[in-house]
Amino acid sequence: MERTPLTADRVRADVADVLSVPPGELDEDLRLIDQGMDSIRMMTLVERWRADGADVTFVDLAEGPTVAEWVALLGR
Amino acid sequence: MKNESFDVVVVGGGPGGSTAATLVARRGHRVLLLEKETFPRYQIGESLLPATVHGICRLLGVEEEMERAAFTRKRGGSFRWGTNPVPWNFLFALSPEISGPTSYAYQVERMKFDEILLRNAAAKGVEVRENAAVGEVVEDGGQVTGVRYTDADGEVHEVSARYVIDASGNRTRISAAVGGERVYSEHFRNLALFGYFEGGGRLPAPDAGNILCAAFDEGWIWYIPLSDTLTSVGAVISATRAQEIQGDQAAREKALRGFLDRCEIVRDLLGPDAARVTEGTYGELRVRKDYSYANTRFWRPGMALVGDAACFIDPVFSTGVHLATYAGLLAARAVNSVLGGELDEERAFGEFEGRYRREYKVFYEFLSSFYDMQGNEDGYFWKAKKVTAFDTTAMEAFVTLVGGVASGETALTAPAEMVDRFGASARSLSEAVEATGDMTTASGERMNHLFGVPVVGDVMHEMNEIQRRGVLGSATREAPLLPGGLVPTADGLGWTEPA
Repeated sequence: MERTPLTADRVRADVADVLSVPPGELDEDLRLIDQGMDSIRMMTLVERWRADGADVTFVDLAEGPTVAEWVALLGR
Repeated sequence: MKNESFDVVVVGGGPGGSTAATLVARRGHRVLLLEKETFPRYQIGESLLPATVHGICRLLGVEEEMERAAFTRKRGGSFRWGTNPVPWNFLFALSPEISGPTSYAYQVERMKFDEILLRNAAAKGVEVRENAAVGEVVEDGGQVTGVRYTDADGEVHEVSARYVIDASGNRTRISAAVGGERVYSEHFRNLALFGYFEGGGRLPAPDAGNILCAAFDEGWIWYIPLSDTLTSVGAVISATRAQEIQGDQAAREKALRGFLDRCEIVRDLLGPDAARVTEGTYGELRVRKDYSYANTRFWRPGMALVGDAACFIDPVFSTGVHLATYAGLLAARAVNSVLGGELDEERAFGEFEGRYRREYKVFYEFLSSFYDMQGNEDGYFWKAKKVTAFDTTAMEAFVTLVGGVASGETALTAPAEMVDRFGASARSLSEAVEATGDMTTASGERMNHLFGVPVVGDVMHEMNEIQRRGVLGSATREAPLLPGGLVPTADGLGWTEPA
């Protein structure tokens, strides 16, 4: 599959959306698990990002569950 | 002869039938469900997966009844399987930190679980008739148009319907009406001999509610904690040993005791004081064919097959109820879309069959890889299940088994490539199990290696989608699963073209 990078703003907006918080309230470096993330919400993000061409899996996201790490992973 | 008319007749009141019936009735259609027995009744297949508990049960609206039933909670499966002499875990949560509301399932007494789903179907508007044995379908001009059934008084009734869903199990009397044939797996012709014990031991917490599957030279044994004291125990062995286990209860007792004695971990867990239940529903030692099979057709105009009437896969992953309820959901979506005038039959039921076959196929590949891990062990049972021992004939049989007649894959996939792919799946699964390690270690709590195996990702995909829908409801957006395929409607009860 062709890999489509996602912008940092897009990643932040999607994460904020599944957590139902304003994007500005996310702590970039705090583990998302401590900000309300769970496996179901992560699956939702994987589906959404894969549908837009990102080559990412649930296990990839779980390896570094912070906004900063996901931005780096998906921006490549 | 009385003659009635419904939109849909569902034959069989197990989980597949109840799911299909309820989800069609939820769209306001008139549904009749015919069950030949009177519930509650005994059934095997007691270990559930999260997709059923958190996905299907929420779509059906039985979460509260399930909570109230206080079934044993399982957080995964524990396996004494492969080269590691210590059991390892396949957990539903990725790690202790990254879990979610769906990271557990239940062990259920099927008498209770199946009755919850059947009574719920009636509560949601399905006309449920027990003691109603369907003998044949009614056809008219290439289309199935209804069924004939006999009630408790021996009176024959004819019911006409736009659709007949056959969910009447392994010994269905009507599945042949869809055409095609039931194709059996060459490698998974096993028999199960099973009974119940009081007072058996439990794995240490937090795995006390897990199913334990333990391989031994002659096959493997399941150990399912149904309550604090009641345990379901069954041995799965080669069909070539039918003579030893198909005798009277005394012969079965002797055979089962022999298997338990030769499977060290189960023998030790059960302990010297556990007593086999010898009275009531659980008092009988039963034998069942655990042959894996699939029908080459899953539907025809006016009729679809769901659950064991369509296909069955070896019980080692607790897939029976999942495959049946998943198919019930897929069939309900197809029926609803056609009855609602949104899709033509070919398109809607093509999606039903395509997804159902895909699910069967990925589980079959996982199963083959899983059995292969144990294939270096001694004993006829295991040698016969080594993937690299699959010859061309066996692979061609496999392609027919999982491909059906509608799939173009039959022509496209060379058996040799299939052997390579299965071999690669078996190796990567085996490596992941090794990297995960023993059940009581820190690494053994983390499923990143196992979830990262492609065939595991394949089997988890749809189950995860169903759980997501169960939790998030109509906010769930799903991409098409099959090339050129459909997606679920917002309410999850129909199919629609992708946006």
